[in-house]
Amino acid sequence: MITLSYIGKNTFLEAINKKSGANVLECYQCGKCVSTCPVSQYMDFPPREIMQMIKLGMKNEVYMANSTWFCLTCSACSGRCPREIEIPAVMEAIRHLAIEENYVNKTKKVKSIRIFHNIFLDMIKRYGRSYELRLMAEHNIRTRDLFKDMNLAPVALLKGKIPLLVKPLKGTKAIRRMFKLAEKLEKKHQ
Amino acid sequence: MARVGVFVCFCGANIADFVDVPKVIEEAKRIREVKYAIEYKYMCSDPGQQLIRDAIVQHKLTSIVVAACSPRMHEKTFRKALSDAGMNPYMLEIANIREHSSWVHQKDKKAATEKASDLVRMAVAKSIANEQLHEISVPVTKRALVIGGGIAGIQAALDIADARIPVTLVEKSPSIGGRMAQLDETFPTLDCSQCILTPKMVDVASHPFIELIPYSEVVELDGYVGNYKAKIKKKASYVNFKVCTGCGACWQKCPVKVPNEYNMGIDKRKAIYTPFPQAVPNKPVIDAEHCTMLLKGKCGICAKFCEKGAIDYKMQDEIIEREVGAVVIATGYDLWDPKPYEEYGVGRFKDIITSLEFERMVSANGPTGGLPIRPSDGKVPKSVVFIKCIGSRDEAKGIEYCSKICCMYTAKHAILLHHKVHDSHAYIFYMDIRAAGKGYEEFVKRAQVDTAATYLRGRVSKIYKKGDQLIVRGEDAQIGQVIEIEADLVVLATAIIPPKGNPDLARLLGVSYDKYGYMSEAHPKLRPVETAKAGIFLAGCTQAPKDIPDTVAQASACAAKVCGLFSGDTMKKDPMISKVDNEFCSGCQNCVKVCPYQAIVTEEIPMGHGSKEVRTVAKINEGVCQGCGSCVAICRSMAITLSGFTDPQIINEIVAI
Amino acid sequence: MKKITYFPGCSAHGTSEEFEKTVRMVMQHLGVQLEDIPDWNCCGATSAHTMNESLAYALPLRNLVLAEKLDNATMAIPCASCYQRMKVTKVHMDENPELAGQINATIIEEGTYQGKVAIKSMLQYCYEDIGLEAIKAQVTKSLAGMKLACYYGCLLTRPKKITQFDSPEYPMSMDHIVEALGAKATDFDYKTECCGASFSISNSEVVLNLTGKILEMAKESGAHAIVVACPLCQSNLDMRQPGAEKTAGKKFDLPIFYFTQLMALAFGMPEKDLMFNKNIIPVEKALANIGKIEPEPEKNKKTKKAVEAESEVA
Repeated sequence: MITLSYIGKNTFLEAINKKSGANVLECYQCGKCVSTCPVSQYMDFPPREIMQMIKLGMKNEVYMANSTWFCLTCSACSGRCPREIEIPAVMEAIRHLAIEENYVNKTKKVKSIRIFHNIFLDMIKRYGRSYELRLMAEHNIRTRDLFKDMNLAPVALLKGKIPLLVKPLKGTKAIRRMFKLAEKLEKKHQ
Repeated sequence: MARVGVFVCFCGANIADFVDVPKVIEEAKRIREVKYAIEYKYMCSDPGQQLIRDAIVQHKLTSIVVAACSPRMHEKTFRKALSDAGMNPYMLEIANIREHSSWVHQKDKKAATEKASDLVRMAVAKSIANEQLHEISVPVTKRALVIGGGIAGIQAALDIADARIPVTLVEKSPSIGGRMAQLDETFPTLDCSQCILTPKMVDVASHPFIELIPYSEVVELDGYVGNYKAKIKKKASYVNFKVCTGCGACWQKCPVKVPNEYNMGIDKRKAIYTPFPQAVPNKPVIDAEHCTMLLKGKCGICAKFCEKGAIDYKMQDEIIEREVGAVVIATGYDLWDPKPYEEYGVGRFKDIITSLEFERMVSANGPTGGLPIRPSDGKVPKSVVFIKCIGSRDEAKGIEYCSKICCMYTAKHAILLHHKVHDSHAYIFYMDIRAAGKGYEEFVKRAQVDTAATYLRGRVSKIYKKGDQLIVRGEDAQIGQVIEIEADLVVLATAIIPPKGNPDLARLLGVSYDKYGYMSEAHPKLRPVETAKAGIFLAGCTQAPKDIPDTVAQASACAAKVCGLFSGDTMKKDPMISKVDNEFCSGCQNCVKVCPYQAIVTEEIPMGHGSKEVRTVAKINEGVCQGCGSCVAICRSMAITLSGFTDPQIINEIVAI
Repeated sequence: MKKITYFPGCSAHGTSEEFEKTVRMVMQHLGVQLEDIPDWNCCGATSAHTMNESLAYALPLRNLVLAEKLDNATMAIPCASCYQRMKVTKVHMDENPELAGQINATIIEEGTYQGKVAIKSMLQYCYEDIGLEAIKAQVTKSLAGMKLACYYGCLLTRPKKITQFDSPEYPMSMDHIVEALGAKATDFDYKTECCGASFSISNSEVVLNLTGKILEMAKESGAHAIVVACPLCQSNLDMRQPGAEKTAGKKFDLPIFYFTQLMALAFGMPEKDLMFNKNIIPVEKALANIGKIEPEPEKNKKTKKAVEAESEVA
């Protein structure tokens, strides 16, 4: 059961609206997004419920939910939403704000996703291009699942699908500068 | 010497909260001509009006200023108070200190009060120059024109005709009956639609006061309330109705097959046809766009088989004229095309039909013998999914509003399906269930409990094919699960929209329409059957989506309005219209060109007293003139004045500020 | 000779090498010169926009700045994900010049963003700029006999506001291209259902589930193979197919072709150059259908007499 006390303005809703450019209040809970979303079954709360929870000011539950981490940003939902709400933008706004305000979902699946993205970005920072072999190896190690996809490795390597080496950019300095700016802008919101 | 009375209203808190009313009175009393000034809580109330009446008599006032709300609200009320006290009602001026001051300057009481005082001063100054005007009488033609022969038009025509007022009923298609003739049973009583409609249709055909003109359209409307002239195009039917007996030999022999509009294209009709068996009039017409004789000069089978020789391929369209005093618009509705719902496979999957197609299937006189069938293989479906809000309440792909009738007719469809196919099961995807009428909630309960239709709350996201069934996917928000239903048939409750021809018809008649194409009523709450143009009324779905009970009620309301309009031999008209002073008119005719109502013509008058030579001057038709003032502005000789807004009156106002 | 800017993307030398190679072969054959962006960087794919908003715009912005130096009006991008990121960046930077300036400042020595270059996916470029007639004209070895399910994935035609290309629900551009090559495109209802994209490594269970559904629907539509226009889609549907088969408990046996591989094949280029050996699911059985044309079903032919007789009875 949830008890709602008077909170004055719903600053959580306003923050999400501002960052995403959408208006969560327009959602009339029709549920088309839920049955459209290919991964709604994996989410703690499907998109429709996230909208309602934002309207109720349930910041903690929304930030800690795994929903936004499973969002594929495939835009199937917003293409069908009768109120034309940019749902992927709302999901992204929630996720970014959650990262900035340090809400960390510690479930295994979300951890695996976060680790993947962090390694990927690390590769780009170093080389300017993705380095799949290292990405897969490091992901296995950091998720403590050493033998994941091991059955695929020999076939993939033999067919040359995963190059053994990476050729870094000339402009890696520029890349690093962009990363620095991105980190600075993120901290500004905290 | 002018003696002006000023009455300032508090309007409860509407004015008083933002305007210092006592201060306004104080300022008013300073004006030399103001001999009496008083404030009151509600000027429009009986005691308020009594104040005015008493003051006129006691203080021998010559004009009155009421500082209150917009004249659109109570100008009539206060004018009557003046005339009750023996003063010419046009000696009234209203200073709108509500809409023009208190409502729009809520943040600055001082400024709002100053503005209110200014407005009062202007009104006082104007009223001093007011002239005593008298209402004009115009003659009225006691005949009504009803455009549209569906239940709305039929009801309006019958009610007006029963009051012994002649009615001309014009219908675009070959028969009257409209959408109601396409329905099987109607909610919430499950009355057979044809059974309750056809008696009315027959009444229309046989009523001594109704002239039924089928297969025709209104192409022109000139004039003004009480005095309209309509031009009606009778489309060539190529069948002589006077001779035709309706035996049906012609359409039995016709070789041409055309998709049948009455059955929503499910089956075919012939090129010579009556729309349905109970058609009124029950005489066929030839569809000129598909008849091989009319297009290519070949065939002629119908004429060969007609025993009465009623076929006349040489018939032409005919324009007839009617003089009428009032018009009722009752053009009904169309169905929205669900093509934008690509995710449902509309157009790709045969077994997706619209609600009207389903209605035709379950109708006894329908193309499938009264049973719903799958268009793909003709089998009777067992699992039927009904989807509501197709196009309605959808800003992305459809229209924003709610179509009002779909929740009820979908419940009806679930019940009808259960009656026709006993072992069938209905699934209904909905966002809400809107059952606000009398007996409506109880009716929906029948669908939910008696037929055990499964109601699922959520919009359908996708329909795809699996084998020879359709899979309908949607969330049931009540249990928070995504559900996929294996459906034999899918029925879409599509939005209803105004007929495509509404905007053109509106322009022709001179009335306005909204962004969707619905005809605009004069006021959404207080004047729902009138348009802004006097003498033109609205009935039925042409104005907004509504069910049959509301349509009939609105049609009867139109009839009452028409009867009221025709209750005297003449009609009273507002005298605030333009006048030409022939002394100054140069006959340049600029005013004739600029008048939006074509109310000005020219006339020849003698050059001078007793002279044989003539000169041209402008002549304003009092009945048509609406007092817009365009002619006043353009007259370079300053020969035209607008009663109620003369130069002295306006200049007084300006000087007063 | 037409000239356009080209952005290969990170997978070009790895998982989608056959896409990269056949794109270049087909473009050359059609008389289009591809000018690679020098020193291009990774667009950030899913990871950048998942973790950090400004980084998600910064990485593609560098590529856009470098592209503008090449003085071509159009840029074509083979990978749907890279295309989406670049297009979204262009739209957002055009609408937010302040943020664009801030990011641009960090790489100012590379150039200043002006927003001049039009961005299209390679599929879009083939359909809109090259056109079906030009493609048909180059076909020397018709693919007639092959039934193909065209899979678009999510990012080529969605969101409509960004891509402004084809239908977001039931697109037909690839279908039309494939039919211009002589093959038949099947009526496939899962054309734009997401495959699970970047969850391939971090959450492969999702991918196996989603690709399983896509493969099943493709098989049911009667297809011999699936055609794609995105490296991630190809990788998920191909490399993960054995896993998807295990999860679903069914055999699919559907090879996954890049549309440019089939274009090259139809244009008569030697099979050994088309890198079919890179496909995990073997392609031979599907390709063997070329030339096996099914007879058309008997059409109901009515005689004039029969028509007259019918109307007599009516």
